Amino acid sequence: MATVTIRNVWKYYNQTPAVKDLNLTCPDGSFVSILGPSGCGKSSTMRMLAGLEHISAGDILFDDVRINDLAPKDRDVAMVFENYALYPHKTVFENIANPLRLRKASEATIKDRVNGAAKLLEISHLLDRRPSELSGGQKQRVAIGRAIVREPKLFLFDEPIAHLDAKLRAHMRGEIKHLQKTLGTTMIYVTHDQLEALSMADYIAVMHDGELQQWGTPSEIFNHPVNAWVAGFVGEPAMNFVTAEIRGGGDGVTLKHANFEIPLLASQVGKLNGAAQAGTARMGVRPDALTISMTRPDGPAITGVIFVNELLGGDMLVEVQLQDVRMRVKTSTDFAGKPGETCWLTVNREKWHVFDAGDGHAYF
Amino acid sequence: MSQTLSLSQTTLDAVDRFRARKVSVEVEARPLSAELPTPTSFNPAARKAYYFYLMAPAIALLAFISLYPFFWLIVMAFQKGDMGAVEWVGFKNFTDLASDGRFLSGWVLLFKYSAMCLFLQVGIGVLLAVIVNGSRYEKFLVTALLMPMMMAPAVAGLLWLFLYNGTFGWYHWIFQSLGILETGSILSSAKTSMYALVLVDVWQWTPLITLIALAGLKRVPRDQMEANMVDGASPARNFFAIVMPNLYPVLLIAVLLRFMDNFRFIDHILVLTGGGPANSTKILPIYLFEVAFKFFDLGRGAAIALVLLVVTIILGKILVGVFDRPTSGGR
Amino acid sequence: MASRDVVHYDTPLQRVLRVLAVIFVVLYLIWTLLPFVIMFVSSFKDLLAAFKLPEVGDWMGIGVFFDFTPTYKHYATLFQENNFGRYIMNSLIAAGGSAVISVIFGSLAAYSLSRVDFRGKSDLFFWIISTRMAPVVAVMVPLFAIFRSLDLVGTLPGLILAYTTFNLPFAIWILKGFFDNVPYGIEEAQMVDGATRFQAFTSILPLVAPGIGAFIVLCVLFAWNDFLFAAIIGSGGAKTLPVATRELVQPQNIQWGAIMAAGVVTTAPMMLLGLVIRKYLVTGLTMGAVKE
Repeated sequence: MATVTIRNVWKYYNQTPAVKDLNLTCPDGSFVSILGPSGCGKSSTMRMLAGLEHISAGDILFDDVRINDLAPKDRDVAMVFENYALYPHKTVFENIANPLRLRKASEATIKDRVNGAAKLLEISHLLDRRPSELSGGQKQRVAIGRAIVREPKLFLFDEPIAHLDAKLRAHMRGEIKHLQKTLGTTMIYVTHDQLEALSMADYIAVMHDGELQQWGTPSEIFNHPVNAWVAGFVGEPAMNFVTAEIRGGGDGVTLKHANFEIPLLASQVGKLNGAAQAGTARMGVRPDALTISMTRPDGPAITGVIFVNELLGGDMLVEVQLQDVRMRVKTSTDFAGKPGETCWLTVNREKWHVFDAGDGHAYF
Repeated sequence: MSQTLSLSQTTLDAVDRFRARKVSVEVEARPLSAELPTPTSFNPAARKAYYFYLMAPAIALLAFISLYPFFWLIVMAFQKGDMGAVEWVGFKNFTDLASDGRFLSGWVLLFKYSAMCLFLQVGIGVLLAVIVNGSRYEKFLVTALLMPMMMAPAVAGLLWLFLYNGTFGWYHWIFQSLGILETGSILSSAKTSMYALVLVDVWQWTPLITLIALAGLKRVPRDQMEANMVDGASPARNFFAIVMPNLYPVLLIAVLLRFMDNFRFIDHILVLTGGGPANSTKILPIYLFEVAFKFFDLGRGAAIALVLLVVTIILGKILVGVFDRPTSGGR
Repeated sequence: MASRDVVHYDTPLQRVLRVLAVIFVVLYLIWTLLPFVIMFVSSFKDLLAAFKLPEVGDWMGIGVFFDFTPTYKHYATLFQENNFGRYIMNSLIAAGGSAVISVIFGSLAAYSLSRVDFRGKSDLFFWIISTRMAPVVAVMVPLFAIFRSLDLVGTLPGLILAYTTFNLPFAIWILKGFFDNVPYGIEEAQMVDGATRFQAFTSILPLVAPGIGAFIVLCVLFAWNDFLFAAIIGSGGAKTLPVATRELVQPQNIQWGAIMAAGVVTTAPMMLLGLVIRKYLVTGLTMGAVKE
């Protein structure tokens, strides 16, 4: 159990920075997910936490103790690797018992703890097998078993379920979350899958290009992205972006585009600071913040032509062609529009975003 | 969130910079293009020393048994005489070599011998590999082919000395019965002795080429062959268009290895002919053996050895270059 | 791959080729195995019987080859008069000693080379590999001079050290290939689990054990079969089997029966070992350049 503080941490591979000036505080007992695409520096961060990589600059603290120079074995962390890293020549029991054996635990303790962990993970019947005889999901459980058997200060999970099939992944998400809540140990979970982060974590750190983009709860990240990149990365189907012109001043500010002109809500006008008053901005709307209709609705709306309809099980995704871009709209399966027909999109202005056209930061 | 930490306020501020406010819809934004500070100080570099400690004993031992002798060799090459009574002679040992007929003919014989061996070994070896590959009896055949390679070359030499014997050798009898040989052993005539050596080398080492070629054949991508066949290629065409390009890199390795082995191993030649008759099989390494360990002219021997080593190192450089090519199956 | 059926569409030409191929393979097999048969059978023949040949051109007379009463006296001579028990021990000690030294030092070095990067690594590598590729006679010239001054000529330690000049670089080169195949993740997991770096290293040794085993056999094979080192560095006190066999050739009296028996004694164990490590043989003999 530990509070993890990452302070001005840099990671260089030769001259290339992989992690740039990272600052994070993971509260004791929390489930923190580091989210980002491959190459964003999230794995380097995790490996620095584990002690497998040198920290080029900055400090990492566990409970106020600087651990930069500690060997992995002295950091009291447990890690689950992306490819499980099980010892192929040892049985499942021995794999799970390994950290205890290395710490010279008594035979009785080992037996007790391994059986306990195995029971928790429902792999008690597999203890005599070898990793090569296990399925992916089972190997994954063994790897987790090896991590939890020792009750460490900190769990590090490096994309542990990335190689499982979709169904099993969904199942394991719930299990891992439950496990963390049961044990109450601080967990740092690295993933590139925004759905995993949103569904499991207490806090998410979104990284891109070695930089921390945003830190917040899943709902903050999802509902109030700090910039266009985070907005685009989080959420599936992805957010629609349309470049539009900002018109007017005072109270009557509108976003103007060839296909629409929509006024901002009164509370939002003030958030556009003066500099952005005249010029272009990027409007961002999630597909579920849009309503599609085949008749012109009352109030401001976006005019477009249906491009294609995709049925997604319980929902329908409609792609609508605007003059320069296509927007995606989530609607119900009974939607009757056909490709080529004109349609209108109403924006839920409580849930839209405007980003700076230049550096992409969010006005709201 | 319970902050029990006694962190400095600047750190907490830095952490706060990226945090969206909880209740408010207002968001503090981090622009993508924002300037970053450069790190102000670096931690001490990661330690690699551990690995060097592990490496040290082997490197030290290797230095003693290969680097040290190598420098000795260079020193010896500039000396004359032996044990106690040495004398510096400068480049004389090397200049002498230029006018040494045995040294020059040693090279010629070495290349002649290697050319014959390699031509036969590659030809027969690849042919065998193509036939054996995928055959029902592949396992048995490969096992049978392995056998000569396991025999000590010196013992192989003795065995063939027996087989070639002019009065009771079975192979001598076969040669005579086939009308290839008149009288007298194949080893006793300067005209035929080289062929006798080539035969032994072919007997012992063709299987290696076969095994290497087989490994190459197993790597030929089946989908490429199938695509080519569907496209209308005949088996022969398929072989030259798909199989050969895949086989070429491993064969290159095989040829280079065997060529270098001809420099390295002379056991069977020492046993069979010792360089004779009439110097007809005195390839360079044999000549070196004779100079250094029969006449104990170590200075001259060192000079020859140095030349031989330099040539091997060049060949080795080529070989390692081939290893490193992605197609060779090396790393 | 082998399990998949290959579809054949035969043309008459292909049928002819196939028959030719079978004939070729059969002839080649005879050519390969005949010397072994002659060696083996002759080692049980009385000298007179061994020298019996049919008339030139009398192909039907081949039968005389099998016309003999088996005798074991050559084997008895080897061990009773020629001290072959001692030479077998010498061979074993020299081959085994150098293999063990090479494996211990070599696996440490190979592991480090596989796990760390530094400037000049490829040069170090080239030096290591070229040591292995050097012509035996050329290496022997300075080695002989050095060993003579250290009084190592004619001793088993000298011979072990001499074999190590070739086996150690070979070990580093081949074992690095095996270590490269072990994912670094396993050691990392060990270290996070609480192992020291050295424990992490020993923990992956079981994974490379088959490779190390095969390599030991290759080292033994090289040293056992060597003649040149043994003849010069080992001459006198550390005579090994090939040298002892060669010494049965004396100007006046070549003991062919004993030579054939010694050939069988020298070759048979290596053949068995060769079969055991069959899988690694090509990799080993091509210095890891070709893998099966």
